[in-house]
Amino acid sequence: MTAFARRLAGHLARGLVMILIVTTVSFFVIRSVPGDPMAARYEKMVEQGMSPEAAQRAVEVLFGFAPTGSLWQQYVDYMSGLARLDLGQSLTVPGVGVSTVLFSAAKWTILPVLAGTLLSFLIGIVMGVYAAIKRSGKLGDILAISGSLLHGVPQYVLALLLGAVFTTLWPILPQGGTADIMFEPGFNAGYIGSLVEHATLPVLTYALAGYGGWILAMKSSVVTVLGDDFILAAELRGLKRGFIFRYVARNAILPLFTILALSLGMLFGGAIFIERIFNYPGLGLMLIDSITNRDYALMGGAFLLITAAIIVANIAADLFYTVIDPRVRSGEGVA
Amino acid sequence: MTAPTIAVGNGRATLRRNFWHGVWRVLKRKPSRMAGMVIVLGFAFMGIFGPLFYPDPLPRDTANLYAAPSWEHLFGTDFEGTDVLALVVTGSSYVLLSAVITAVITVVLGTGIGLFAGFRRGRWDTVLMRITDMKLTIPGLPLLLVLSTIWKFGSAIEMGLVLGLLGWGGVARAVRSQTLSLRERGFIEAARGLGLSTTHIIGRELLPSMAPFIAMNMLIAVTGAVYAQVGLFFLGVLPFEANNWGVMLNLAVFGGGAMSSPAALPYLMAPLLAILLLTLGIVLAVDAMDEIFNPRLREE
Repeated sequence: MTAFARRLAGHLARGLVMILIVTTVSFFVIRSVPGDPMAARYEKMVEQGMSPEAAQRAVEVLFGFAPTGSLWQQYVDYMSGLARLDLGQSLTVPGVGVSTVLFSAAKWTILPVLAGTLLSFLIGIVMGVYAAIKRSGKLGDILAISGSLLHGVPQYVLALLLGAVFTTLWPILPQGGTADIMFEPGFNAGYIGSLVEHATLPVLTYALAGYGGWILAMKSSVVTVLGDDFILAAELRGLKRGFIFRYVARNAILPLFTILALSLGMLFGGAIFIERIFNYPGLGLMLIDSITNRDYALMGGAFLLITAAIIVANIAADLFYTVIDPRVRSGEGVA
Repeated sequence: MTAPTIAVGNGRATLRRNFWHGVWRVLKRKPSRMAGMVIVLGFAFMGIFGPLFYPDPLPRDTANLYAAPSWEHLFGTDFEGTDVLALVVTGSSYVLLSAVITAVITVVLGTGIGLFAGFRRGRWDTVLMRITDMKLTIPGLPLLLVLSTIWKFGSAIEMGLVLGLLGWGGVARAVRSQTLSLRERGFIEAARGLGLSTTHIIGRELLPSMAPFIAMNMLIAVTGAVYAQVGLFFLGVLPFEANNWGVMLNLAVFGGGAMSSPAALPYLMAPLLAILLLTLGIVLAVDAMDEIFNPRLREE
């Protein structure tokens, strides 16, 4: 168990370093934006009749760090604010902290990404087993080709095609938002139905985008396991074809769990396209909006949260693999 | 001393001729590979010579906004009445030029760093791989979006440079692991035992055996770069300085309302089809290259 703890500590330390680097990058990007947004804001407030001191304070609050003092001092202030989860104030939603805005947007990214990934994972591994068993037949060929094609196409192309079909040519699905405003948010059938309806296209895109990778990965994993000795032994003992799912799939699925957590993280980056296309108010759309509105505090926060999600997914992938695969664990005990 | 040199020279020439023969045979056996090569070459031709076929600026037909596809306008017209097909063809130069620059930078940097780290091992390896892992962890697209607030990616060259500098991580990792496995093989041990210089071993022994792998990564990098920059322009965070496929997608969806009215659909579909066709061509070409460079895969 000490090895596990050491591993966890190492991961956490590396994750923290990454977050530090990402925050530093966004701090300096915000600082080096041409036209200095803070100075512009300050000028505007003074023009509107605010006293210079009040305007100065307002700008400090808005941007989450004091624009006066040495660069180093500002950096330290920004970082200590981050430690208290205080990322400053959003410009577009006045009076609300950046962290509050971000956390309310995060659920609209996390839930669809999770649903889409799990859906594609389940379908992908089942199809992958078939593609591996029938790899010399027509069905296997078709499955493998569908996998390669879907794997190669970028997410936004899939999203645009789905959108063109289901909202333009055959308008059966809504094209934006999280739910119709006619329903009152809460636990009632109408609102939940509308939520599901609005989430269908984003979830479907995540699922289709992931499916290709799963089917290819599962196919090659199953083919490897099929060559193992224990399968030969099982066949010699006279086991039927039905054992494939029980014996082979279980063993072949292990390496895929690592990719599952990794792809969850990757989808956070890709969510930007899908949320923009379907106008779905998650973290990605928030990042785009903050850039078009020049809301730099919100931009830094959204970038940080997306990166943090990916780092956490990476750590989870590694630890999870240690837990479920006894071979990795025993290897660690020796080392 | 002259005779052996000539013999070596002849040997090389024959080898080269045999190689091109092999390429032709591999391509001829499967029509899909031939199609892939034709598509890739067709796009290259379009990117280099395409703009020469059209006047600059493209003619507008203001009486014919969002025209439906016809023989005159195969993919209809856009919001100004400009032919959509002409836009796709002239827009391809930016897309393809920056993608090629990205791919070259990605592969040169990735191969160099991967070879150096894998061959040297030790402290340099650790440091370089830490940096590589960090690059791989920071999500590319969000980082590009954040950077777009300070850089404008004005020309295709700038765009290619930035994407290339951000993209070498994966190639470096892959080349390093290839190097690690190759350096333990007999022929490298023998070369080292003979006291050959490191440059010779890397340049003459390691690189040639990795050439197929590197070439494949190059093609994959081209596709990745096309996706990334078309996507960036599509999101609408970069200024529209030149006509390219991403700008077309953006204007079709967010300007023309292609997600709600069918009028702008051909305008959306034309660049999408171009991207899909280019991807298909590259996937098929990668399949062919795999067999050209990997003689063991050839079914003679």
